[in-house]
Amino acid sequence: MEDLGENTTVLSSLRSLNNFISQRVDGGAGLDASASAPGSLQMQYQQSMQLEERAEQIRAKSHIIQVEREKMQMQLSHKRARVELERAASTSARSYEREVDRNQELLTRIRQLQDREAEAEEKMKEQLEHSRQCKQSLDAANKRLREKEDGLAEASETISELKGRISELQWSVMNQEMQVKGLESEKQELQEQLDLQLRKWQEANQKIQELQAGQEARTEQEQKIKDLEQKLFLQEQDSAIVKSMKSELVRLPKMERELKQLKEENAYLREMRETNGLLREEVEGLQRKLSRQEKMQENLVDLELEKERLLAKLQSWERLDQTTGLSISVRELDKVRQQLQEEVRQVSAQLLEERKKRETHEALARRLQKRVLLLTKERDGMRAILGSYDSELTPAEYSPQLTRRMREAEDMVQKVHAHSSEMEAQLSQALEELGSQKQRADMLEMELKVLQAQAGPTEQSVLLSREEASELRVKVEELEGERSRLEEDKRRLEAQLEHLTLQGDYDQSKTKVLHLSMNPAREAQQSRRQDQARLQEECEQLRKLVCALERGGPVPADLEAACLPSSKEVAGHGTRGHQDAAAGDGVLADGARAHRAAPAAPGQHPRLPWRPHPRPLQPPDPGLAPSPAASPAARPCARPAAQPCARPSARPCHPALRPALRPALRPALPPHSELGGGSAGARGWWRHPTHCTTRTTAARTGGRT
Amino acid sequence: MRNADLSCSHWHSRCQSRKRARPQSLEQGITLRGSTDIVAEFFWFGINSILYQRGIYPAETFTRVQKYGLPLLVTADPELVKYLHTVVGQLKDWLCMCSVQKLVVVISNLENGEVLERWQFDVECDKTARDDGAPREKSLQAIQAEIRSVIRQITAAVTFLPLLEVSCSFDLLIYTDKDLVVPEKWEECGPQFIASSEQVRLRSFTTTIHKVDSAVAYKSPVSD
Repeated sequence: MEDLGENTTVLSSLRSLNNFISQRVDGGAGLDASASAPGSLQMQYQQSMQLEERAEQIRAKSHIIQVEREKMQMQLSHKRARVELERAASTSARSYEREVDRNQELLTRIRQLQDREAEAEEKMKEQLEHSRQCKQSLDAANKRLREKEDGLAEASETISELKGRISELQWSVMNQEMQVKGLESEKQELQEQLDLQLRKWQEANQKIQELQAGQEARTEQEQKIKDLEQKLFLQEQDSAIVKSMKSELVRLPKMERELKQLKEENAYLREMRETNGLLREEVEGLQRKLSRQEKMQENLVDLELEKERLLAKLQSWERLDQTTGLSISVRELDKVRQQLQEEVRQVSAQLLEERKKRETHEALARRLQKRVLLLTKERDGMRAILGSYDSELTPAEYSPQLTRRMREAEDMVQKVHAHSSEMEAQLSQALEELGSQKQRADMLEMELKVLQAQAGPTEQSVLLSREEASELRVKVEELEGERSRLEEDKRRLEAQLEHLTLQGDYDQSKTKVLHLSMNPAREAQQSRRQDQARLQEECEQLRKLVCALERGGPVPADLEAACLPSSKEVAGHGTRGHQDAAAGDGVLADGARAHRAAPAAPGQHPRLPWRPHPRPLQPPDPGLAPSPAASPAARPCARPAAQPCARPSARPCHPALRPALRPALRPALPPHSELGGGSAGARGWWRHPTHCTTRTTAARTGGRT
Repeated sequence: MRNADLSCSHWHSRCQSRKRARPQSLEQGITLRGSTDIVAEFFWFGINSILYQRGIYPAETFTRVQKYGLPLLVTADPELVKYLHTVVGQLKDWLCMCSVQKLVVVISNLENGEVLERWQFDVECDKTARDDGAPREKSLQAIQAEIRSVIRQITAAVTFLPLLEVSCSFDLLIYTDKDLVVPEKWEECGPQFIASSEQVRLRSFTTTIHKVDSAVAYKSPVSD
């Protein structure tokens, strides 16, 4: 564009030039007419030529520029064309390549499609074959289906037949089940019967075992009896022997007694001899003591005299003291006296010690002298032995025996020395002990003397103490005797107390005994009393009725009416009163059965109705017994029939056996009433009053009529 | 009788439930309450055993229960059960207060009221257990073993006791402290000794709080 710009400027400049020129030509023409100068015209012509030249130059330049411009434009257009050509070439090349690619792709596609066609054709063939096969198979299957349908039809026919049979079989099964149930029920019944039989069998076995045990016990007891009889016989024999020996034996104790007596006399005489010796020594000792005591007494008397003198002096001194006023207190005197006594004791102790020392020294001296004597004797003996040996040795030869003997002798000597030294040591110990004992005895004597001097009375105190000791001993013995007696009493009383507490005794101050007011014993007694009263009333009414009937006259209506309800009451209360002692519901069956088993009592009044138990179930009254009215009357009503009231009032079946019999009897409930009287006892105890009362009254009425 | 069974079993289950309710007191040790329960239960079963063994009531009125490892028989008679309940219940209260000294089962002849047998149970209570509440160490099995031996002895005593040939009734006496308040329906009575009796001392058992000694006294059989 610059070129264009330049071109425009060039063009503009051209224009301006042209304009100038045009002007100048006009001007020039104008100037030419002027005749100014030919010279100015030349210059103008030169100038115009210059200007033309310039204009031509400029035109040339502009032409060049235009050409150059065109050239550039041509170049540009050429470039553009070339570029466009290149672009077109490229684009054509690309399009060519694309076309090539497309061709290739199309070729490949064609091939693929051809392949696919081939495959498809193959598949088609295969499928055609497959379809043919399928058709064939279908045909085959169709055939089979038809066959199966035929078979199914047959099977259904058979099924229908079988269903018919099944229904028939079910019917038969039901029939059989019914039969089975019936059989099972029969079986259960039979099993129950079997159980009952088993139980009976077990009871029988138990009874058998009990009987066997009883028999064994009996045999054992018979054996024991035999053993005891044998023992008794042996003992009788022994007693006969004993009696024969008794006479001899009677002599024996006498002999033994004599022997004992002689032995005792011997021992006694020996003791007497010894005691005689001892007594003689004691007597000598006592005599010496007596002499010493007499000397002491003389000393004492002297001392008392001195004491009196001293007392007199003291009194005189005291009087002096009172008159003079010297205060010499008793305490000081006592102190002085005690001091003097202590000094005396010390001096006496020293004296005793010195005496003892002297004695020990003397004893030592004696011992030493004895020892010296012994030693010298030994030495002499040894010298003699040695001399004898020497004398023997000089003619004889040295022999080992002699040396041995020598050694033995020396050993013996040493042993003897040792023994003697031991003995001497023991002797010295004994002597020392003796000396110490003597010293103690002397000390005690001194103390005794001192005490005696202090006390005043001499031998009487000793005697008194001896008397006191004997009295105390006697008292002690008495007390010990009392104590033993008291202990025995205590033991006896304790045993009594224990016995009483076991019996039930108690200390009334500390204990009291309580019980419930309505206790079974009281209730039983009350019911018993009520029954008794009722029964007595009944009895009286029945007696009246009997009397009336005996008279033969018409029975008074009120009596009869009274008797009928009373008999009812008898039956009712009798059952209540006397079945109360029976069990609860368990007895009902037994009672009813027993009633059924019992025929109407012979001799029973026809008018007295035989009433069954109106109230079978009653709360039992504890521990009720048959009434005394019934029990003595039961005796005449003894009937050998299987009725439990044949027994007297005492119960035949012991309560001790009842626990053993109870388990045995419990399963035997049904046949119970058929058993004899003995085994029926346990159960019948509570039942017999019922029958007894009604039957006793019946018997009584029957008897009276 | 069903009612009686129910009441007896109900009381029994009540005992057991009471035990279950306080298992600690009986397993960890014996407290005063536990000891009174044990002793009261023993009396319940012991009195029932005596009534059965001596035939005071018919055997059919007794039902079998298992207790202390033994098959024991207790009555099913409702009146009797009610009576025994009353007495044993009151006894339990008095045992807690340690006021009971003895329990006596007196068996007497119905006709003349003569006492034929006396079963005496001496109760010694350790009063210190009332003051401190610490449970004592004694295993329940040991106590039950002792009770078992006592009940076996009661059963075996029947072999040497004289036969009760007359109809008898029984009564329960309780020896208490003098200062005890007598409840209503209870009254004082005599000790009901046997005139000439022989006594046999039976075994005893102890719960470390209560000690129960048993003895039976029976009328000396008259030599023919």
